[in-house]
Amino acid sequence: MSAGADFLDRLLAAVPGSQADTPVKDYPTVRLSAPKDLLPAARLLKDELGFDYLEMVTAVDWLGPVNLGGFVSNPNPNPFTQKHPGPPVSPVAGPGVTYRPVLDLLWSFGDLVKNRKVFLRLEVPRDRAEAPSLTGLFPAADWQEREAFDLFGIRFAGHPNLIKILTPDFLQGHPLRKDYVHAKDRYDAE
Amino acid sequence: MVAKPVPGGQVVLTSTDYIIDLSRKYSLWPLTFGLACCAIEMMVAYAGRFDFDRFGVIPRPSPRQADLLLIAGTVTKKMAEPIVQIYHQMPEPRFVMAMGSCANCGGPYYDSYAVVKGVDRIIPVDIYVPGCPPRPEALIYAVMELQKKIMRMKLERTYGATVQAEKGSRDLTGEPA
Repeated sequence: MSAGADFLDRLLAAVPGSQADTPVKDYPTVRLSAPKDLLPAARLLKDELGFDYLEMVTAVDWLGPVNLGGFVSNPNPNPFTQKHPGPPVSPVAGPGVTYRPVLDLLWSFGDLVKNRKVFLRLEVPRDRAEAPSLTGLFPAADWQEREAFDLFGIRFAGHPNLIKILTPDFLQGHPLRKDYVHAKDRYDAE
Repeated sequence: MVAKPVPGGQVVLTSTDYIIDLSRKYSLWPLTFGLACCAIEMMVAYAGRFDFDRFGVIPRPSPRQADLLLIAGTVTKKMAEPIVQIYHQMPEPRFVMAMGSCANCGGPYYDSYAVVKGVDRIIPVDIYVPGCPPRPEALIYAVMELQKKIMRMKLERTYGATVQAEKGSRDLTGEPA
């Protein structure tokens, strides 16, 4: 997939501070510099460039180090596997990627007519994970953002109904965060 | 039928138990209730090749009409309360079958924050079917074992019946208390 498609040039020119990032699954990927750039970028994608389908809203927690099982190795926060802390890991996540206390948000926009796809990425700090909501532009963002809020604790400003969607009401915390510590609830009692 | 020549009217009472147990064991109507991939094997067991209808096992869409709650799949903590509610909506005698590793003990999701480690933590279970998922033959065998249990049930206030045996619940193999 060519990273220099014309819609990518228009997007990069229209959103100051954005830059082409490492392609996600060989699709063009644009990294935004600030949360305020998201709405103009999404509006441009939807109204002028034909990307009228919001496919996915998710995030990556880059806190480390983690082992292959996804658990923080030292200390292991999982109360059920504390006897198996896992192997020591390097502080580098991969080629060119270091662990850092950020949540890397990811939006996927699709163009069903021309069969194209583009990703937007935005890093927010873990302790102040906030991003603008896309529910005004894409109604499909409603449940996706609720899921990201539920599992990662990202506050989407402007969301009409930002409540838990997947985990039960009594579950405290956001389970897909790397430092999530599961507090035993009524169903975990021995 | 029961041909025990016991004088004193006990023949009639024992025969009642026998007939009722026979009726129960050949009309085990499970609730149509699939939770995860085990439900696929459950559907196969209902379908033509394995044909649960031979045993009188006919799926019912309502817990009010069901005798057997077949927990086919992973019990998440969010689904736990609806399962308890469904269990209490079923008329007695009611039976519970835990199908697959997830429903038995949590299975591969034992370490998960979202999974109940066995459905027996929330409702009593009569039969455990191991497997991930169990084959339909295993399910058929479990139903036959449950039928053996049902044949040991007794009516209230007849000879040897405990409360548990009357309600068709947990300790059906136990001696009369």
